[in-house]
Amino acid sequence: MADTPHSARFEELLPAYALGALDGEELRELEAHLDGGCPDCRRLLALWDRDLEALAEAVEPVEPSATTRARILRLGATAPPARARQPLLPWLSLAAAALLVAAVWGIAGQLRLRGELERLTMERDRLARQVTALDQQVTLARSAAERANQALQVLAAPGVQSVVLAGLGPATQAAGHTYVNPRRHDALFYAFDLPPLPRDKTYQLWFIAAGKPVSAGTFAVDARGTGSLRVDQVADVASIQAWAVTVEPAGGVPQPTGTMVLKTTVLKG
Amino acid sequence: MDDEKETEDLQLMSRVAAQDGGAFTRLFELHAPVTLGLLSRILTRRMEAEEVLQEVFLQIWTQADRYDASRSTPRGWILMLARSRALDRIRRRDASRRREELVGEEQGDAVPPVGTERIERVERQRQVAGALGALSPDQRRCIELAFFEGLTHTQIAERLAAPLGTVKSRILLGMNKLRQTLSSQLHS
Repeated sequence: MADTPHSARFEELLPAYALGALDGEELRELEAHLDGGCPDCRRLLALWDRDLEALAEAVEPVEPSATTRARILRLGATAPPARARQPLLPWLSLAAAALLVAAVWGIAGQLRLRGELERLTMERDRLARQVTALDQQVTLARSAAERANQALQVLAAPGVQSVVLAGLGPATQAAGHTYVNPRRHDALFYAFDLPPLPRDKTYQLWFIAAGKPVSAGTFAVDARGTGSLRVDQVADVASIQAWAVTVEPAGGVPQPTGTMVLKTTVLKG
Repeated sequence: MDDEKETEDLQLMSRVAAQDGGAFTRLFELHAPVTLGLLSRILTRRMEAEEVLQEVFLQIWTQADRYDASRSTPRGWILMLARSRALDRIRRRDASRRREELVGEEQGDAVPPVGTERIERVERQRQVAGALGALSPDQRRCIELAFFEGLTHTQIAERLAAPLGTVKSRILLGMNKLRQTLSSQLHS
């Protein structure tokens, strides 16, 4: 049941909401109404979403570079060849028939050769998949090393400041740490013991500078409730009054709207 | 014809969810150019757009089983994933510096229309571009600022130095007109 009855006013807010343009009191009112489960508004919102998909298609297509293309398609190349698996049964039937004919005509020797060829072909394909998988592992390891290096640059910087965030409301057991490099204006954030969220929600980190919340990005947590985020650009450390984490719609929002689960004030490190 | 394309897309999505590399390649061929076009339009920097394109297709490869056909078309799902990731990048980037400084960098290479399939998709793009052209310049500007730059009513009013009520009204009227034009094109 919707908390507030469906009305033409809510319908008028839907296109701006779908665009992500709604803010302030109107956003809070409509989200409360949608959370109440109004079926009319949900149906109309889905139609507006479709219109926006059309808007996205109006852009001029751009061909990806050869490097990007190769990196992306390498992902699919690590999978077992699904198309080759499908005709397995018909192939076996054919093979059985062929065996019978061979037995009759006494050409089993040729079949043995063919079988050997197929075995070698399968072995070659298996090795090719292994090489691709290893290649992907190297890429992932490089990426992990790069992230670790970036983390080290923040943590080992002179004057790094640590900020502790404590759990609030539905997540009192949770905690967070932010390490800010005041020279480079970047930061690392780690969250612990946060509850996992449904697919349509995300955690969003904010810093409050000059009284205004500024988004530092969104993050997810793993099964143990641990999450992390690298923040490329933070305001001057002296101007940051607090850090906070809220629960927001997937993809994040320009201004905080959801429940606050972590908050702190700056502690000089 | 659109239905045939959507049916193929739906089949590809379920095969990608089953980790079919061939289907993933096909999905990439069909949707990567328009996705990169959208990312380039939002981010304005080609290299960053290509980075986000990799993130988007990694997410498709690992999370295709989360796609819900009752909520969007596969192409729509991919484009909205891309938009969401790109806007998130912009918000992080804008934490300390404005976007205008970045305008004017490298532009992407437009894709020449090749083959029937791409021509059909290009036709769809032309229709939507036509629908956008039917809006007043003010309506179009407000919708584009919200869609491609992730600005809210208040932020658009500040950017354009226009009254908040005017911005709200331009978006509402513009979106309704856009739907009307798209719908009449579909039925003509």
